[in-house]
Amino acid sequence: MAENTDKMVIDGVELTGIWKEFLPSRILYEDVTTEFLDEVKKLPGGSTIVRCYQCGTCSGGCTLPDFVDKFNPRRFIDLVRRGHYDILVNENKDLVWKCVSCQRCTHRCPKGVNTQEVVRAIAKFLEDKKVFGKLTNDEAFDEVFMEEVIEDGRIDEVKIVKDFYSKTGRLKDMMSADQISLGFKMLTSGRIKLFGGKIKDWKKVSKRLKEEIQ
Amino acid sequence: MKTVLVIGGGVTGLKASSELAEMGYNVALVEKEDYLGGQVAKHKYYKLAPDLRLAGEVIDPVIKAVESNSNIKVYKHSHVVAVSGNAPEFKAKIKNSKGESEESFGAIVVATGFDHFDPTVKQEYGYGRFKDVVTNAEVEEMLNPNGSTKGQLKRPSDGKTPKKIAIFQCVGSRDRQVGNPYCCRVGCVVSTKQAIEIKEKYPDSEVYVYYMDMRMFGRGWEELYGKAMEDYEIIFTRGRGAEVTLKNQQLSLRAEETIMDRPIQHSVDMIILAAGMAAGEGTIDAAKVLGIKQNDYGFLSPKDDFLSPNESSKPGIFIAGADKGPMDIENCIVEGAAVAAKVAGSLKN
Ligand SMILES: Cc1cc2nc3c(=O)[nH]c(=O)nc-3n(C[C@H](O)[C@H](O)[C@H](O)COP(=O)(O)OP(=O)(O)OC[C@H]3O[C@@H](n4cnc5c(N)ncnc54)[C@H](O)[C@@H]3O)c2cc1C
Ligand code: SF4
Ligand code: SF4
Ligand code: SF4
Repeated sequence: MAENTDKMVIDGVELTGIWKEFLPSRILYEDVTTEFLDEVKKLPGGSTIVRCYQCGTCSGGCTLPDFVDKFNPRRFIDLVRRGHYDILVNENKDLVWKCVSCQRCTHRCPKGVNTQEVVRAIAKFLEDKKVFGKLTNDEAFDEVFMEEVIEDGRIDEVKIVKDFYSKTGRLKDMMSADQISLGFKMLTSGRIKLFGGKIKDWKKVSKRLKEEIQ
Repeated sequence: MKTVLVIGGGVTGLKASSELAEMGYNVALVEKEDYLGGQVAKHKYYKLAPDLRLAGEVIDPVIKAVESNSNIKVYKHSHVVAVSGNAPEFKAKIKNSKGESEESFGAIVVATGFDHFDPTVKQEYGYGRFKDVVTNAEVEEMLNPNGSTKGQLKRPSDGKTPKKIAIFQCVGSRDRQVGNPYCCRVGCVVSTKQAIEIKEKYPDSEVYVYYMDMRMFGRGWEELYGKAMEDYEIIFTRGRGAEVTLKNQQLSLRAEETIMDRPIQHSVDMIILAAGMAAGEGTIDAAKVLGIKQNDYGFLSPKDDFLSPNESSKPGIFIAGADKGPMDIENCIVEGAAVAAKVAGSLKN
């Protein structure tokens, strides 16, 4: 990361005070470490990251930049490789997980990188580093949804709503008058059921799934 | 004096033949097409990199040296269909429309060259789908006053002169998807040369080269690259071409400008694909008939890349030029001469 030098001297003139604020150093302190590359490499789908030669075919044709500014799989890989962890976290953590898995990158990568899987591995790497902190609503819902599928093999509408509010720390909101009245309407009109049925022998499947995910 | 069989009448085979003939050997030169000169003649290369010298100035004397030497018998439109025996007593069957003949040879030189990579398989580049996506070999022919467009660069779709031209580097080279992870070794200098030729002829045009790195390792290549930027204002963008589509009836490309970390969408009038070199069918055929080793990509393998670069895996059978892998003309001429010396040495004992 760029660091502000304590003392800045330009052409023999020492700049002090407010001038220094206007002129932050642009030098990137390259402190290459392969520590993060090693970690990503070991994650599921991460192994082909080592093949990347930064050609830009993936990023050039990626579906996302039309919608998500600065989404750039080539750059994610570069930052991991060169150990620029701070830049990855500060500038890219909200982007990486947005990949829509269209696979254009993987099908075109001339170097045999499974780019989509590598992008996922980088997202997982950041998740493991707990950089996401508080979850967004989308993320919280995804998590609750997946947990429920793995646990029960199906979605119980009432349970998922309850878990979602609980996960985002807003159980109180769920008990608000308008939410209760909405819930009641949906119940009486048959849109939701109070108790979802069980799937026979799901426990075994669930156990296998959990092992697989581990 | 023994006769030497040379297979392939490109610049390499021609040089090998004339050198051997000058040393007093008899040569039978077998060429499958009805002309000599190989790819240079086939695609009517006009000017050669890096000096922008007329290709004819180089290839014509090489052809003439063969045609004017009575020690060389040229078989055009002919194939070697079977070979038996061992060094230095080979028997080869040469077949053409007039029939088949069997002759004895003391040594065999394989100079069957390469084929231009066919970019149809790179579907995302739209070659074959969009008329104005063309190959570098097609451009060679267009720029030649004796070519199909009489030296004019024209869009195949409407015959108009394109104003904005993009060139994609490394098409079918450095690419695991198509099984060619190697570098084509000429694409960079050829594109730079073509860009300059286009700008010379059409100063108002804009030429953009999309590349990963410009590999300018040959004599005068780096200087040509400098000239392209300094004197001709050709724009080089560091990013491999990702895809070609049509936007409002116009060709539009996507690539990443990796130095700016941004994908770009760029509308142009014509796209030239710098298609690389692949092992030709002729080379693969010859390898089969002769039973000599090929590498993973179909090119011919020397017995030892360092120590015996012009010997095949079989004694008495020699290899030279672009059938061993991508090679420029200058080096092909060196190879032709080197293989001749090697053959002469082997026939002496
Ligand atoms: C677009 C493009 C532009 C280029 N421009 C330049 C340039 O400006 N400067 C430069 O130095 N290099 C250039 N090159 C490289 C140049 O084309 C090669 O170096 C040269 O053609 C190789 O010569 P060769 O004789 O080894 O092979 P080839 O030219 O391929 O000749 C091989 C010959 O063998 C014949 N043959 C093949 N198989 C058989 C068979 N089984 N039996 C009988 N005959 C057979 C073929 O018909 C052909 O005539 C360019 C390459 C490309 C792709
Ligand atoms: S296409 Fe492949 S090699 Fe090129 S930058 Fe993307 S991942 Fe790396
Ligand atoms: S799979 Fe993800 S990274 Fe790859 S092209 Fe699609 S959106 Fe982009
Ligand atoms: S010579 Fe240039 S165009 Fe050809 S493969 Fe190598 S880098 Fe790519």
